[in-house]
Amino acid sequence: MHAVRTVVIRPASSSWLHLGEHLGRLREYGDLLYTLSVHRVNVRYKQTALGVLWAVLQPLLMMVIFTAVFSVLARMPSDGRPYALFAYAALLPWTFFATSLSNGTNSLVAHTQLITKVYFPREILPLTYIVAGLFDFAIGFVVLLGLLAWYHVGLTAQAWNLIPIVALLAAWTLAVALFLAALQVRFRDVGVALPALVQLWMFASPVIYPLGVVPAGWRTWYLLNPMAGIVASCRSVLLQGQAPEALPLRMAVIVTVVALPLSYLFFKRAEATMADVI
Amino acid sequence: MRPLIDIRFDAVSKRYRVRQPIGRDGGGRYRDFWAVRDVSFDVARGETLGIIGHNGAGKSTLLKLLSRITAPTSGTITLSGRLAALIEVGSGFHPELTGRENIFLSGSLLGMKRREIASKLDRIVAFAGVGPFIDMPVKWYSSGMYIRLGFAVAAHLEADILLVDEVLAVGDAAFQLQCHERIAELRRDGTTMLFISHDLTSIARLCDRSMLMDRGRIALTGVSRDVIAEYNRIVADSQAREVADAVAVDARSLARVVDVRFLDDDGRESVVVRTGEPLRALVDVDVTLPVRDAVIEVFYYSRDGRTLHCQHSTALSGPRLDLMAGRRRIEFLCDEIGLQPGIYAIGASVRERTGSTALDWWYGVRLLNVEQGKPVRGYFYAPHEWRCADAGAAAQCRAADA
Repeated sequence: MHAVRTVVIRPASSSWLHLGEHLGRLREYGDLLYTLSVHRVNVRYKQTALGVLWAVLQPLLMMVIFTAVFSVLARMPSDGRPYALFAYAALLPWTFFATSLSNGTNSLVAHTQLITKVYFPREILPLTYIVAGLFDFAIGFVVLLGLLAWYHVGLTAQAWNLIPIVALLAAWTLAVALFLAALQVRFRDVGVALPALVQLWMFASPVIYPLGVVPAGWRTWYLLNPMAGIVASCRSVLLQGQAPEALPLRMAVIVTVVALPLSYLFFKRAEATMADVI
Repeated sequence: MRPLIDIRFDAVSKRYRVRQPIGRDGGGRYRDFWAVRDVSFDVARGETLGIIGHNGAGKSTLLKLLSRITAPTSGTITLSGRLAALIEVGSGFHPELTGRENIFLSGSLLGMKRREIASKLDRIVAFAGVGPFIDMPVKWYSSGMYIRLGFAVAAHLEADILLVDEVLAVGDAAFQLQCHERIAELRRDGTTMLFISHDLTSIARLCDRSMLMDRGRIALTGVSRDVIAEYNRIVADSQAREVADAVAVDARSLARVVDVRFLDDDGRESVVVRTGEPLRALVDVDVTLPVRDAVIEVFYYSRDGRTLHCQHSTALSGPRLDLMAGRRRIEFLCDEIGLQPGIYAIGASVRERTGSTALDWWYGVRLLNVEQGKPVRGYFYAPHEWRCADAGAAAQCRAADA
């Protein structure tokens, strides 16, 4: 017999006071988060001929294209590492961000049937895509190990720092996905504009070029984009064997820590009437 | 001691904003629609409450508020215990996944723990009757299997409070029966239940108490039988008005059917009868000019009016009927009604035996609610008696009796 729990259903609110309540409910639905995330991974490659190989091929193909265009043709500097490695170390977090963000943003609209029929904390939908993205990230990381070996570049103990950096990356991606997903329920424009936004965002992040080429005068503004600090830090710990540069990482942490709770509360407020407008 | 309360609605309202095309003056871009307005009620632990009302009366919104699919605009709802909605979640199924995987998926969507699902897996599979196909992707399931599986999961939720929507209409008759049994079982276990249905027979049978909703407000709360009777009266009234508006009164008409009513054993007016029990139907006819050799008939249609189930007629027996001018009343007496449980729409006509068309045709103003009486299978109950028929049988029957 389970303990009787009292639930109070109230009108929509974005009060900070209910933050704990929201998180408590989310924890109750931990099993759903798990089941749905496994489901995402299972389903994603289910009717594809190459299956999970796509998780490897996607960043690899991008790497080849970027290397051809930006290294061979445009002679982009790459912090003294082979450009292919330089690009791949950035594409690994970037692909995670771009894929999880697109899927996460569209997740609510894609599950209209469920949202109008059953209750569960809606943030689970974008969250599952982020968990699935982490799975792809892990596969991509194994490929990176292969590339490092191929180019005779060794990992140092600094590589362990990748774990908190990825946690930061996931938190930031979630913050953006929650905000855009809630917005898209009312304004489908978000879904239409998203591919362009992601493309622009990539050029505003040090993916194809090193952070060092950004003019000093723009640097503070540039670093307000947490992806700048995250991508640059990934390169430092994976390729240079150095601790991440303090300022970019610190900026990324601050922006994320502020944005995530705000975005979550915005999402929860929208959630209350989501089923009516979706 | 006061009973424990499982559900408490406290001045709950829900407003929907309907976006309107922007007017020339730019004003009035939204129209407010109150689907539920200032609703307060309690449901005690273990109680079964039925909610009835017209389409658009706010029943579904109430259910959506309770199941947290949408939040109220004002007021609060307090729930004690775990709430589950008995709904078919086949829409949450993924066609590529197997039946087993989908059970876990939809079970978790309904808020079940993986452990809990695993422990009930066998029962769920048996309930859905998809045993041999459980490890097959559901895209290869027949639509019936799909629906049954979607529903089976919900039927095995362990909840303190259960919401049941129209869903009992899913699947074939055997599956519906299974669902009804499951609900009865849960009810015995003391689960608090809320039924929302148009099926008044089920409501009357399953619910201790009912609530009639009308335009977002509670019109009446009380013992199910009374609330249903009131609802039928309202339906009949509104239909009568519609019919009266629709049918132009023919001035040359010799006679008109005014009303058909039903009486129970005690001679009181009733809209509920039981299969195999007596039925008295009264037909009032206004006769303008005398009608010679008249025939008056009453028809029992399915609720949608498509199937005629049976009729009473003055033409089959009795003396010739001549109607004098004035208000005339005919009473039909039926010892044992053969209609199976359900809701029937009533029609009546008056005609001349020799005439090819009716003088008046009256339809749909009344509904008759037939409840479970004599439990028989088949399309109808055929009144009958029985006796032992072989030689010396009477003695044997008595012997077996002793």
